[in-house]
Amino acid sequence: MDEDYEDGHRFHIDDQKNKRNLEIGEMDVDGSNRETIFLKNNYLVKNIGAVVRDLRSLGFTSMTEDAYASAIFSLLKAKVHNLAGDDYRALVLGSIKDWIQAVPLQFLHALLAYLGDSFDCDSMSSGLKSPLASRPSCYPGIDFPSEGLVRWQLRLEYFAYETLQDLRIGKLFEIIVDYPDSYPAIQDLKQCLEYTGQHSKLVDSFISSLRYRLLTAGASTYDILHQYVSTIKALRIIDPTGVFLEAVGEPIRDYLRGRKDTIKCIVTMLTDGPGGNPSGLGNAGDSLLEELNRDSENQESTDYDDDINSDDKQAWINAERWEPDPVEADPSKGSRNRRKIDVLGMMVNIIGSKDQLVNEYRVMLAEKLLNKFDYDIDSEIRTLELLKIHLGESSIQKCEIMLNDLIDSKRTNANIKASLPQPSLSGSKLGGTDVSLDILDATIISSNFWPTIQAESLNIPASVDQLLCDYAKRFHEIKTPRKLLWKKNLGTVKLELQFEDRNMQFTVTPVHAAIIMQFQEQTSWTSKNLAAATGIPVDTLNRRINFWISKGILAGSAGSDSDDHVFTIVDDMNTNGLIHESSEGLLAADEEGERSVASVEEQLRKEMTVYEKFIIGMLTNFGSMALDRIHNTLKMFCVAEPSYDKSLQQLQSFLTGLITEEKLEMRDGLYFLKK
Amino acid sequence: MKVKILQWHAVASWTWDAQDETCGICRMAFDGCCPDCKFPGDDCPLVWGACNHSFHLHCILKWVNSQNSQASQQQPQCPMCRREWQFKA
Ligand SMILES: [Zn+2]
Ligand SMILES: [Zn+2]
Ligand SMILES: [Zn+2]
Repeated sequence: MDEDYEDGHRFHIDDQKNKRNLEIGEMDVDGSNRETIFLKNNYLVKNIGAVVRDLRSLGFTSMTEDAYASAIFSLLKAKVHNLAGDDYRALVLGSIKDWIQAVPLQFLHALLAYLGDSFDCDSMSSGLKSPLASRPSCYPGIDFPSEGLVRWQLRLEYFAYETLQDLRIGKLFEIIVDYPDSYPAIQDLKQCLEYTGQHSKLVDSFISSLRYRLLTAGASTYDILHQYVSTIKALRIIDPTGVFLEAVGEPIRDYLRGRKDTIKCIVTMLTDGPGGNPSGLGNAGDSLLEELNRDSENQESTDYDDDINSDDKQAWINAERWEPDPVEADPSKGSRNRRKIDVLGMMVNIIGSKDQLVNEYRVMLAEKLLNKFDYDIDSEIRTLELLKIHLGESSIQKCEIMLNDLIDSKRTNANIKASLPQPSLSGSKLGGTDVSLDILDATIISSNFWPTIQAESLNIPASVDQLLCDYAKRFHEIKTPRKLLWKKNLGTVKLELQFEDRNMQFTVTPVHAAIIMQFQEQTSWTSKNLAAATGIPVDTLNRRINFWISKGILAGSAGSDSDDHVFTIVDDMNTNGLIHESSEGLLAADEEGERSVASVEEQLRKEMTVYEKFIIGMLTNFGSMALDRIHNTLKMFCVAEPSYDKSLQQLQSFLTGLITEEKLEMRDGLYFLKK
Repeated sequence: MKVKILQWHAVASWTWDAQDETCGICRMAFDGCCPDCKFPGDDCPLVWGACNHSFHLHCILKWVNSQNSQASQQQPQCPMCRREWQFKA
């Protein structure tokens, strides 16, 4: 036994030594020094062959074979790792197979020939029973492969597929981060899995790396969504039926549903270019929706090519393509038919419904449209066209009316300005400021179709107020009996602050404009007086005035009264550092949460408040309840007006809000009253 | 310091300024549009009768037509007050 072990061991060492030769052999398979290498190899084969034969004659046949097999496998494993490595941008399966042909199979051929096992004349004529038999396989330098050699090839290739598959599965997270650059690695993996059938290994391993690497508090919602989209795109190559994708996507979706900004991020990703999100992946300048549309157009054009052929032929092709779902398929999810994997559908799946997606988009659209200086809505029209294609016409009708309002406004605005003679304007010199109708444009909205817009009181400067009056009068004349109702706190103002030594331009909201214009007449105001003059509540004023303080235009100090502040203009400012400060885009950065359009959550919150008492009552009675039980109970009992019509996701987001307010808590998927 | 306004882009909403919120025929908001229309405002105007009741133009036209076809000798009536329907000048 000792002796055998020694021999086996020695064989390993020999093999390591000869590995170099074998690799040279690979490099120069077609080279001029092939003869020399064959001679060397022959010498090696003879040595090993002699040992093998001796051991066989002692009765250690299988042990001997195990020894050289394990040496070959470990060599192959090293080769696979070496060829594949961490480079996901090249196909490697082909070169691995070439290497198997060129090196270990050559060696085995020679060894088997030396041992006299190789001459199996029937093997070619009788046809091999192995699946490889039908494959056109080429054995360089070997005319008639023996059955033993073909079996070896199968073993080696299976081992290579499995090794590469395990290697790629272990790095699948990185590969998907790299997608689409890593497309070749995905293709290799697909081939490996088709051969080994070990898809469930992929699912388990990938889910655990998702939980460990991605679904953590540190990852931004955009990053998670990007990885989700890349996962969908990459896995649908491996698994066109979507069964494994379903399993892998579930934890991501579950996790995202617990985040408050998920819907907003999804809508931004879908409708904005990469400028809208910090990760900025994907094609430059394209929204996800644009990209999906391009994909589906490509898809359709290939489908169309098929359709040129007769329907019968198409039916035959479809029938041929049919495959049963893999055994891992959950019969409750998805059909047995091959369905197209729809990225948008999988995004909507996170949100809950198309309606919620559209609601969120409508709020974002309103915000965008109300902050426009010009009436340029080309990109919004394009986005809406894409949404229409994917979500259907009826769901986006309100958005269409909003865009139509902008188009109408542009026309009406031009009519009104053309028909009002400039010099006859009364009161244009009020407040010491020259203003003519030139500076005024208006967006006129059909408010029934817009999201709720927060009404805020505001006294705008008298000169502008007069312009608004003239404008509204003219509108009424043109569009009798329609009337205009100004929403004075909304809109955008471009103004120039003129100091003795410098001018500064800002783009601000009407509230900011009204505040700063008060400082023309009087250089210092208490917050109470300024609030009264501008018609803004004091606390709002104190918040909004921070904009001017942050720009170094105003300075704030404590007043005589502890809750009163004094604001003074910083007139002879020597701190020149602020002068060249660009003011474009300030509006967006200005005071998060100071939005004029009520967010979807705010609206939902308002609508759900009716049920809050009911939920608290239920939890008092039952102690704890799971989400779907609360949902079903509300559905059952809240049938009178207002009847409960919210989705599970909406309820969940409302309950998450109650947890934030510390009214509820959640443990093990159950909601409790916070004590 | 002086402030020069370079541009003021204001926002307003429009209204038909009708006495009621909704059209008595289709029950839709006056500032919305009738069920047959896609866009409110110019595309789906409001009209007033001599009786001072107002409706979407498209709604009252349909109503008047249906009345005419039912009883040919009878004059169409306002669906709200049953007085003879006449468009207000
Ligand atoms: Zn009507
Ligand atoms: Zn109409
Ligand atoms: Zn009437």
